[in-house]
Amino acid sequence: MDKESVGSELLRRFKYNKSAVFGLIIMLFMIFCAIAANFIAPNDPYPSPPLLANKLKPGFWSDEGAPGMPLGSDGLGRCVLSRIIYGTRVSLTAGFVAVAIAMILGITFGVLSGYFGGWIDAVIMRIVDIMFAFPALLLAIVIVAVVGQGLEKAMIAIGIVYSPQMARIIRSSVLYIKEMEYIEVQKAIGSSHWRIIFRHILPNSIAPVVVYGTLMLATAILDCAALGFLGLGAQPPTPEWGAMLADSYSFIVSGAWWAATFPGIAILLSVLGLNLLGDGLRDVLDPRLKQ
Amino acid sequence: MRAKRLSIVLLVSLLVLGITTLGLAQEKILVFGNSGDVARLDPADVTDGESISRMDNIFEGLVEYEAGSTEIKPCLAESWDISEDGKEIVFHLRKGVKFHDGTDFNADAVVFSFERQYNPEHPYHQYGEWSYWGYMFSDIDRVEKIDDYTVKLVLSEPNASIMTSLAMFTACIVSPANAEKYKEDAFRHPCGTGPFKFVEWVKDDHITLEANENYWRERPKIDKLIFRVIPDPSARLLALEVGEIHGMEYPNPADFDRIKANPDLVLMSEPGMNIGYMAMNTGYGYVDANKNGVKDPDEPLEKTPGYFEPLTKKKVRQAINMAIDKEAIVRDIYMGTASVAKNGMPPFMLGYNDEIEDYPYDPEKAKELLAEAGYPDGFEVTLHVMPVSRPYMFDPPKIGEAIQSYLAAVGIKVNFYQVDWATYLQETEAGMHQMCLLGWTGDNGDPDNFLNVLYGLNACSIGTAGNYAFYTNEENQELLTKALRTYDVEKRAEYYKKAQELIHEDAGWVFLAHSNQNMVFRKNVEGFVLHPTSRMFFYPVDIK
Repeated sequence: MDKESVGSELLRRFKYNKSAVFGLIIMLFMIFCAIAANFIAPNDPYPSPPLLANKLKPGFWSDEGAPGMPLGSDGLGRCVLSRIIYGTRVSLTAGFVAVAIAMILGITFGVLSGYFGGWIDAVIMRIVDIMFAFPALLLAIVIVAVVGQGLEKAMIAIGIVYSPQMARIIRSSVLYIKEMEYIEVQKAIGSSHWRIIFRHILPNSIAPVVVYGTLMLATAILDCAALGFLGLGAQPPTPEWGAMLADSYSFIVSGAWWAATFPGIAILLSVLGLNLLGDGLRDVLDPRLKQ
Repeated sequence: MRAKRLSIVLLVSLLVLGITTLGLAQEKILVFGNSGDVARLDPADVTDGESISRMDNIFEGLVEYEAGSTEIKPCLAESWDISEDGKEIVFHLRKGVKFHDGTDFNADAVVFSFERQYNPEHPYHQYGEWSYWGYMFSDIDRVEKIDDYTVKLVLSEPNASIMTSLAMFTACIVSPANAEKYKEDAFRHPCGTGPFKFVEWVKDDHITLEANENYWRERPKIDKLIFRVIPDPSARLLALEVGEIHGMEYPNPADFDRIKANPDLVLMSEPGMNIGYMAMNTGYGYVDANKNGVKDPDEPLEKTPGYFEPLTKKKVRQAINMAIDKEAIVRDIYMGTASVAKNGMPPFMLGYNDEIEDYPYDPEKAKELLAEAGYPDGFEVTLHVMPVSRPYMFDPPKIGEAIQSYLAAVGIKVNFYQVDWATYLQETEAGMHQMCLLGWTGDNGDPDNFLNVLYGLNACSIGTAGNYAFYTNEENQELLTKALRTYDVEKRAEYYKKAQELIHEDAGWVFLAHSNQNMVFRKNVEGFVLHPTSRMFFYPVDIK
């Protein structure tokens, strides 16, 4: 089979996976919101000076709503919809950066561990075991407590926390691939380790990385929101979904449900979309499912 | 057979029902929902409102406050005489009063309760920090026993606020026999002369008190008083609505409409004796080497760790005052449960200067002032934002965000800084902040307890500061000291008014609001009276 037909085969299988297409649409929509936030958001996400008099106004479903704020306003009179749209930017960036960090660290150590084996493998895998012993969010909180609060630091913390998973995944594919005949051939003709790793092992072990990277993106966004909710992630006035929830959940009892509900729905949709997409990718990329 | 079994079941259930209703009729239990647990249960060794609220019902002092005011009346002392020069006060103690452990209340107990705080040689001095002694009582030189029911209090300097201070929790009388029995653990086994006896303390859950049958006044109307810790205000309100608790503190202002709409609940609300503010570090403090709470000539001013050039300029601080719309903050974030502050103490206090005109909300003028001060493009500054709600400041993060947004409009970029509460206090007391949100609830109703403690030069001690703007005006401190040493009420008021003018002009603070104190009770709870100092006296309370 030539390359093109492999590609079209994958695309065909992807198209038949309805939930994966749905996930992809959500993902693309989020990316669009993030890029075009300046143009599509109806209001300034943090007007200065604040319009406190607009606080906790309902949205389009009520006659008392603040004009131009379809999803109502939060406790400081800011447009919830605009903040959610700008929040896409924050959450996506945080997710991608965290996953990138996890990938860089995970791939590096996973490949070293799997390819060279022996004591390198033993040391790296024991460290990974130790990191697995902590709940991910707890470890992230510890790291944030050490390096300080802020969105950047939260991203780094989440990246570090996820790198062991990535390392494990890469290591297992490397272990499998390095026993293949074409690697034997490369060794026989005297290729260097680096050539073998970069030309042959990495490209062949990238499929699971893509799948798990997508799924990880979902959990990274969720954890970033959790850190924001705890006040350890994005700092005000950054419109971060988790922080928006934390700001507004106390208003739910008194009836202003919208300020906390819509950011929650945004988190839910994005995580759901990414999970569907990830699952779809796995189905498509897994050769065992080929008819 | 079946009929017989049924009748037995009925009989048993009737019996059970009868016993329980009988039990309810016999015992009146009041459960109160608090937002946090106590730190310690030694009245002289705490500073937080939660600890104080429990001990108000266990302990008593020589004098006490009238219900709902900071006027004093006799309590464990029946009467007292003040000497001509105001430096000696002789107390005649009440006879026949017993501590909860059965021992007698007498002059020895009074001397013990005070001396352990001020005398480092005293064997019980080691068991506490006694921080309030330094804040409010350091003018007391010694307390002497004259006979079993007479004690003399000797002051090193005349002090016009001392009598009201003696009604504070710090001056409560504890049982010496109990202290001897438990030593360093005495703070877990409080024993006083008050209307309620301590039963148990389950950490972070509840504290139980029971009526003191041998109380020297009439026995309290309720039999058991339980303080339950429910940190979340919404959860507290839900517990109150279903009748799990009978009263609660700090309701969420957003829930007020819901509370008012509920016929079973009563919302009590009164102006509180407090101030919530944003302090701007003006740059300099001193190290109180001899720990006497006074800036001595050999303790020079030095830069605080949070020294920040722009905030050392008066015009910048005034500009910040003009850039923040306090009216809007009080209306929309405090949700009307506070009044706008223009001075550093509440309006009903002695010496309040009502002639001061507050800085108007005027961003344009603020920009001009910034330009005059040399910052036409503004600057970037860090704001310490409190992680907890306090009675004087509801929802600090929201207030911080509003301030951030107001200051952005005049070109000042504010970065948030949040840490846990203990560290927050440590850092701000050490002057590590550039700007910070904080506040104060009055202890004794005396203006000295606001102006001197919060705005005086003596309070600029790095590490133990109460003056978080590090406002080091000597003229101001002179006025405050003179006022404290003056017994003439008119003259005192004059000094305080002048001091407030200086504090206003130099603008070290943005005074935000005086919060109301709010409590919610179920309708069948009667007799509770809000106290301006937020203390909670359950003695007159009854359940109908």
